[in-house]
Amino acid sequence: MWIEIGHFAAITAFLLAITQTGTALVGVTLTRPVWVRVSRRATFATFALLTLAGGTLVAAFLGHDFSVRYVAEHSSLELPLFYLATAVWGGHEGSLLLWAWLLSLFNAIAVWRYWATHARSIPWILAILGGLLAGFLTLILFLSSPFDRLFPAPANGQDLNPLLQDPGMVFHPPFLYIGYVGFAIPYAFAMAALITGQAGEEWILATRRWTLFAWIALTIGIVFGGYWAYYELGWGGYWAWDPVENASFMPWLTATAFLHSVMVQERRGLFKTWNLFLIITTFALSLLGTFLVRSGVLSSVHAFASDPGRGVYILIFMSVLLFFSFGVLVLRAELLRAEIHLESPLSKESAFLFNNLLLVVGALTVLLGTLYPLAVETLSTAKVSVGAPYYNRVFIPIMLGILLLMGIAPLIAWRRTPLARLRRDFPLPILLGIVGLLVALWQQVSHPYGVATAALIFFVIGTHGLDVVRGVRARLAAGTRQTGTQTGTTSPLTALWQLLTRNKRRYGGMTVHIGIVVMSAGFIGSGLFQQELDLFLSPGDSVQLGDWKLTLEAVGKAAKYNWTAVEATVRAERQGETVILKPQKRSYGKRSQPTTEAAIHSTWREDVYVVMGDPVKENTWNFRIYRNPLVAWIWWGTGLIALGVAFAMMQGRRNT
Amino acid sequence: MKTIWKVTLLLGIAAILVLFALGLNNDPRMIPSPLVNRPAPDFATTDLDGKPISLAEHRGKWVLVNFWGSWCSSCVSEHPYLLELARKTRSRSDFVILGVDFRDTEQGAKMFLARNGNPGYRHATDPEQKIAIDWGVYGAPESYLVDPTGRIRLKQTGPLYAGWFEQVALPLLQESTTPTGTPQAGKP
Repeated sequence: MWIEIGHFAAITAFLLAITQTGTALVGVTLTRPVWVRVSRRATFATFALLTLAGGTLVAAFLGHDFSVRYVAEHSSLELPLFYLATAVWGGHEGSLLLWAWLLSLFNAIAVWRYWATHARSIPWILAILGGLLAGFLTLILFLSSPFDRLFPAPANGQDLNPLLQDPGMVFHPPFLYIGYVGFAIPYAFAMAALITGQAGEEWILATRRWTLFAWIALTIGIVFGGYWAYYELGWGGYWAWDPVENASFMPWLTATAFLHSVMVQERRGLFKTWNLFLIITTFALSLLGTFLVRSGVLSSVHAFASDPGRGVYILIFMSVLLFFSFGVLVLRAELLRAEIHLESPLSKESAFLFNNLLLVVGALTVLLGTLYPLAVETLSTAKVSVGAPYYNRVFIPIMLGILLLMGIAPLIAWRRTPLARLRRDFPLPILLGIVGLLVALWQQVSHPYGVATAALIFFVIGTHGLDVVRGVRARLAAGTRQTGTQTGTTSPLTALWQLLTRNKRRYGGMTVHIGIVVMSAGFIGSGLFQQELDLFLSPGDSVQLGDWKLTLEAVGKAAKYNWTAVEATVRAERQGETVILKPQKRSYGKRSQPTTEAAIHSTWREDVYVVMGDPVKENTWNFRIYRNPLVAWIWWGTGLIALGVAFAMMQGRRNT
Repeated sequence: MKTIWKVTLLLGIAAILVLFALGLNNDPRMIPSPLVNRPAPDFATTDLDGKPISLAEHRGKWVLVNFWGSWCSSCVSEHPYLLELARKTRSRSDFVILGVDFRDTEQGAKMFLARNGNPGYRHATDPEQKIAIDWGVYGAPESYLVDPTGRIRLKQTGPLYAGWFEQVALPLLQESTTPTGTPQAGKP
């Protein structure tokens, strides 16, 4: 009964989304504000209805209502409570509903926040967002409804895919979707700005926080995906350049470019068309990421079951959206001709330009690598796969370039940087870079990329540190001048605090940079220094890996919730330090394919990572043991990035 | 924005969309092979442990020949099914699985098996792709089902999928294991 109410609510929401677009368009073309107000009401109602619809689906999961097909396919009586609610986005239909619900939530917030301040663009924003939502709801209601009943209802469900029963998977999709959907708001603002011809700085100022918010959600979502892969898939890695991972990475790259280039438009009025292009591209790539998984076009570990009707609809939807967005951009681009030009190559503007070029070229190389197998498969009969070797070759140099620019950024000025200043500021960081290079060589990093990354990491830390030290000194000097005494009343710590809080955007951004540097250290550590053992062990056997001695003590059984497992007890010892690791091979009963649960001992220096394989003979099992240096740095780096973004978001609009 | 950029942008988008449209009709599993119902080309090479291996030594059994390589990412997604299939059919006396590891190094192949699990059957090495060319392999993974008389009965392009054995192979196996020799021979 409830699920029918949910279904009905979703259908009503669909009709209201169409109303939202229709009334907004009528209102703006006939200049009848009352129509636009109807559109606004429709937005709030849509959100309420979709919340109800989602709620009934959650209730169906919690109540084990297996007469709902989607519940029967993704849940079971044995599924733990924690995963019951999150199983809602464990499949194609439910995750689309999450998408649509988030979009309606963001619509409502955007309309509520910007109704009064952006009266001219709001009708267009309403129309565009309503159209988007209607497009999504069409896909949900007519081609992949989570509200269908199943007759006769089975006594128990098929259970959630065991690989998805992991905390990483609980958070990975929602964060990713918040990121994807979050870009819809800046996108709608950009389109409205283009259509109304007011493509000045207004839309950028309005959506700065949205963009930051979407960016950080996307970042966290991607990292959760990597974390899940690392802990649950048991292949010792966190990133595999899978087409769908790529699909989430491409909008991240273009969004990062956008975050940087908007600063140039804000400060200097340059890059207007480029910014519009970037945000439209980012949102288009977000949609591509959502759809690529569902259309059955690419094969990937993420692929949902495909259905030809769905694929055709998705294609039509994408075509309309892409041609509409880029078409408007092309038609209206003339409005945006900038009168100002770059003054000097040694300026922040041009550094941002290169940063943008590298990021966009990076996104293009990922796009090429993702589409190439599809092109080959379509145009000939061969099947190819593009994997890590291609991406390592083309992508790492681009990332190195970005790291270099990141290091230069804080020390060069807008417009032009006097050479004297460069001579004053750069020797110290460069020296640090050389130290980094020597450290790398001393640590026997032999790969040139590894050496270069290490040097650049030190260089970036040098320039960022120097910038903060300069700021603190200047503030102290100013404080001394003001009080007129030699003793000075401000302590360096107060000065630092004032410096950081006066310009939260700048120092938030620099914190993000340091986060990226910490992550890069993690990438080289785990990428170049991973040690791997693949061997057979019987209880009592010992093996040496790095300075760890690992002993298989026993193999027993374990069971919890809905799974049973074969569990090994491995003792890892190093200089008086002893840890017990318990890798498992889990069976979830209903699905025969067992999952591996890696046991990981994580320290700041390295992870000891043990995966239990199949039994080879009586009392002997296959084990894979990895030493993954600095992996924890990747998670910490992400934490720093999140902190930095939160800090930057605390600052409202620039007053000057 | 210059006209040339506008045109490039729109054409680029159109090209991607056309590619997707064509890709929708791709069903990689539906490539007919001229070798179906013809004798399977024999091969004799070494396996991953350096021991000699040939197709002929399995005459009299159904042989599933699976072409793969450690460079092939679709093989990773296929692999869990092969592990399961090998476990399920281990007890059958009329069915064996052989891997052909082509365009690959021995070290790469062993690494792949270590990473993704070793199904336990043997793998012929084909670093020069000689076998793959003889058999008309387009890419990886591809699988051929060879009957006890040595004829290729069907070809699967792309990964084998859950239920493949029961739905596709088993009917063929059962049709020929129903005794064809003695009872019919007795009739005039």
